[in-house]
Amino acid sequence: MAVNESERSFQHPLYEVLERFPGLDLATTQVDKLLTWGANNSQWIFPMATSCCGIEFMAAAASLVDLDRMGSITRGTPRQSDVMVVAGTITVKMAPRVKRLWDQMPEPKWCIAMGSCAISGDFYRDIYSVIPGIDVAIPVDVYIPGCPPNPEQLMAGMLRLQEKVNLKRAGLWSPPETRPETPKTIEPAIKRLLHQGRDRRIDAAQIDQALSLELPVVDLPPLPEPAPEKGEDE
Amino acid sequence: MTPAEENAAREQAFRRLLRERFGVEGEADAPLPDDGVVVDRAHHVDLAKALHKAGWQLYVTCAATHFPAVPGKKPTDATTPECFEVATVLRTVGPGSHTARWRVKLAVGESLPTLVPVFVGADWQEREQFDLVGVHFEGHPDLRRLMMPEDWEGHPLRRDYAIDTPHAPWR
Repeated sequence: MAVNESERSFQHPLYEVLERFPGLDLATTQVDKLLTWGANNSQWIFPMATSCCGIEFMAAAASLVDLDRMGSITRGTPRQSDVMVVAGTITVKMAPRVKRLWDQMPEPKWCIAMGSCAISGDFYRDIYSVIPGIDVAIPVDVYIPGCPPNPEQLMAGMLRLQEKVNLKRAGLWSPPETRPETPKTIEPAIKRLLHQGRDRRIDAAQIDQALSLELPVVDLPPLPEPAPEKGEDE
Repeated sequence: MTPAEENAAREQAFRRLLRERFGVEGEADAPLPDDGVVVDRAHHVDLAKALHKAGWQLYVTCAATHFPAVPGKKPTDATTPECFEVATVLRTVGPGSHTARWRVKLAVGESLPTLVPVFVGADWQEREQFDLVGVHFEGHPDLRRLMMPEDWEGHPLRRDYAIDTPHAPWR
């Protein structure tokens, strides 16, 4: 079976045989429905669990929520899996390894980014060793925000993925999910070193203070007066 | 011998060993400084071998620290040069376990003899310190990067390594 991306339809050698005989179109439809049902209820998971989201993933696989109810078994090899659940922070060293495992998964395959670190890197995103979200390396179908998301949210994400699979197998267009960005990740509370609004003199004073290993009094020139806000005056 | 007595006897033995054979100053039974005793670089491997023979057979960890150059308080004062410190921690096994720890000071460009021939467990610990702090371990069988990617430049846990050092997004 192959996916024709340009026409968003599925091709199978069996279809061509069945379409030659009149009256067998109905059987084709029924076989397609059966295959969709089978694909939806055997989403085997490859857990790319690198940190604490992996614990919630284990809780989702345990008896309270039980991913096994929808036929999702956790496999230890990417070659037997349909869904890769990226749960945790991905570092610069780990990203090529994740990509390599993703390339080993057979088509059709899907990816779930679980937790804010896998989505955007969250508060680790500016560190030298962390990539800002797994979607710079592999395409993501379903985003599950949370830090970490609880097992019910992962279950809801799997159900969203089932709907996407249904639409895709029916040859219909499904809207791509947008990457959820919270205001915290766009505008961090603590200004980063590269941030425009950060005063370089305060940085230099802090570095001096840290290096001199004591607490000197640094004579700073007075800061420029902030521009008065128009909304308050009127 | 109770565990507490065992521990006290080990502590006595450790102090005497340091004072009598490895040139640490002070009375033979006087307590060691709280922040760890500083041993000369030439005695590092010999001390580890002696402790291993005397019963400290568990290699716990080693930790390297980078100290940047500090300018003097007044303009006339001399600048404290940049240096490194490597702390090593060993333990005895069993009840009344005793922890032996010491530090070695290194100047820039100075390497430390490896402890891998004495403790096999030192292998990855020393690789980690080489990777993150940049201390070179002389005679290490396999001194490669452990945490960072193989083609990484610089040592991230040095004090002068900026947090926003640019790197390739992912490789």
